[in-house]
Amino acid sequence: MGHGKSPYLRYAEPEPFPILNKHSHYDHLFEEMHELEEKGEILVYRITEENKPVEVFTRTGRIKTIPTAKLWHHKSCGQCGNIPGYPASIFWFMNKFGYDYLNEPHQTSCTAWNYHGSGTSNPVALAAVWLRNMHQAWKTGYYPLIHCGTSFGSYKETREQLIFNKELRDAVKPILKKLGRLTEDGRIIIPQEVVHYSEWVHAMRHKIAELYEKEGKAKGIDVSNVRVAIHNACHTWKMMADDYPYDPEVYNGQRPAASTAVVKALGAQVVDYSTWYDCCGFGFRHILTEREFTRSFAIQRKLKVIAEEIKADLIVTHDTGCTTTFEKNQWIGKAHGMYHPVAVMSDVMFSALACGAHPFKIVQLYWNCSNYEPLLEKMGITNWKELKKEWEDTVKHIAELEKEGKYDELVEFFKEYDLYEPYSRTSDGFKRRRSASADMPLFKS
Amino acid sequence: MEGHPYGYNIPISEKTKEVPWEEKVRVYEEVKSDFRFKEFLFGCLNCGVCTASCPSNRFFDYSPREIVQRFLEEDVEVIYDMMHEYIWACSQCFTCWIRCPFVNNPGGLVIIMREVAVRNAFEATKDLLKPYGRVLLKVMTTGNQLSADMLQPDFFPDWGPKMQDNMENIRAKRMAIPFDVGKSVKTAWEVSLETAIEMYTIWRETGIFEMLEKLDPNLYNVIMDIVEENEERWEELMEEEEEE
Repeated sequence: MGHGKSPYLRYAEPEPFPILNKHSHYDHLFEEMHELEEKGEILVYRITEENKPVEVFTRTGRIKTIPTAKLWHHKSCGQCGNIPGYPASIFWFMNKFGYDYLNEPHQTSCTAWNYHGSGTSNPVALAAVWLRNMHQAWKTGYYPLIHCGTSFGSYKETREQLIFNKELRDAVKPILKKLGRLTEDGRIIIPQEVVHYSEWVHAMRHKIAELYEKEGKAKGIDVSNVRVAIHNACHTWKMMADDYPYDPEVYNGQRPAASTAVVKALGAQVVDYSTWYDCCGFGFRHILTEREFTRSFAIQRKLKVIAEEIKADLIVTHDTGCTTTFEKNQWIGKAHGMYHPVAVMSDVMFSALACGAHPFKIVQLYWNCSNYEPLLEKMGITNWKELKKEWEDTVKHIAELEKEGKYDELVEFFKEYDLYEPYSRTSDGFKRRRSASADMPLFKS
Repeated sequence: MEGHPYGYNIPISEKTKEVPWEEKVRVYEEVKSDFRFKEFLFGCLNCGVCTASCPSNRFFDYSPREIVQRFLEEDVEVIYDMMHEYIWACSQCFTCWIRCPFVNNPGGLVIIMREVAVRNAFEATKDLLKPYGRVLLKVMTTGNQLSADMLQPDFFPDWGPKMQDNMENIRAKRMAIPFDVGKSVKTAWEVSLETAIEMYTIWRETGIFEMLEKLDPNLYNVIMDIVEENEERWEELMEEEEEE
């Protein structure tokens, strides 16, 4: 049902589940957003049929539109730098479903991890960074899909601040003008919905389950005995809490639905535990410079509880920091007799494994410090040692080609190997010499 | 009074006591004048649900309820004192925010306080953020916050032997990531130079470089050297392309 004049604010009728929060402090931003659009101050980057939209519900019963195709991938620095199988699994699914997408070098981090860790930024800078990235997406015609939970939370918050504060809009506009990041008639670009990849996974869960039935099971993979503990990331569902999916099939709409719903759709066992509500202990600055806190919290409040209460085979996450925190802080527990080994990976990585993706080339489990091997065995991926050897041989081959300076051969090799066509597929035919980080031979002109 | 009858029982530091009252009021007003302040602070029942669910409260002497209470009581002295070390315990998880029946956002108040502490280059803040310099260097110069070369095994012995293995032959492993812009060691993905240049403009226009200069002059100099080098490289490239 529509709500007032804004096409961006609609509620489900009847209520899909008991709505506890009927006085949202957030939803009216969609009315204000429409008013600003009518006044010609902003341009709302709309989700269209080309994006194959799927509708989900937020905890207030608002209908949130999730674009599933023709997406501009707003990558996560923590994922790409530290868990590369995370974005690779997302791209792998995009390819599997035949969806067009864009993965560009013309994107920055949101800078919010730094901000929450150190305070060394401000709302104007955060808004400028966000709007620059959104303008780049708009320019290409691909809709932004945010991979990182903190980027997602921060962007939702920044959008709210921009919509309700003229001072902030006035402060950021001259900067965007200088960057050439306004529309021709001087408007800022605000996306209709800020969308996290876990929402995409949630919206796509039935298609993912179909792929598992068709391709995963054909490879002998079976997840029905896998016991899964779900960990929802604070910055997806506690930050701007009224803007994240809830679903009647997941705890009757009383807990966030993403991740839990896809694990259930795959037929694995979601097992509840008492500290599901707690954060992971990442703490932004803490994971790097207050590690005693991070590891103490992760072990005592999550890993130990999950091991003792439910003996899970796997913790499924949907954000960068949580995945890192849980998988990196297990081994050290041995020092205090608190070693609780459990596999850790994101919903999309687990889904990709279930659907038959290569555990090392695609899901890149090699980078993972947790005890993932027993999980692979339990899922029926019993040839994981051969697959690991295959990937290690690939790494050796690449290293040899580089050592011998055979760059043309490397480029040829990656044309077949990569999930994504090299540079020609970026929005402007990116030139390799134009890199801010030209540290690899492939990027040199 | 040393500490507070119901909560903030950390004695006010000698350093804070020595600071002139006017200076404490100035800092307090700087926090309060932030446009978000009125959106983050409403009433408070003192129910303590925020503190009961706060992860930092379990391991640090830190309470989000205290943050809210001190602001509501306009306790200038304690707020000033909190801004030196106390606020840095917060994990920024915002559990306090989602749980508060009044929709107070103690985590949000903390981020304003941190921002003001950084802007004022408090000594304690400088010390606290020293080990964080590598992140600042990366984000200011490339627009990326994390990269594979920051995860040196020597810095993370507690992450175990698999971490040590990961870093062997790192260049080839990064290249074996199956999407093009991910094959970088020095950044999380390959950031285009023009994108980094745009970031520098944002840092300049929003006072971030200026703030950094006050916070850590040495780090600032290193960053500016890289920024200027990249800007020169960009100008040369533009000139070359024009000639072509």
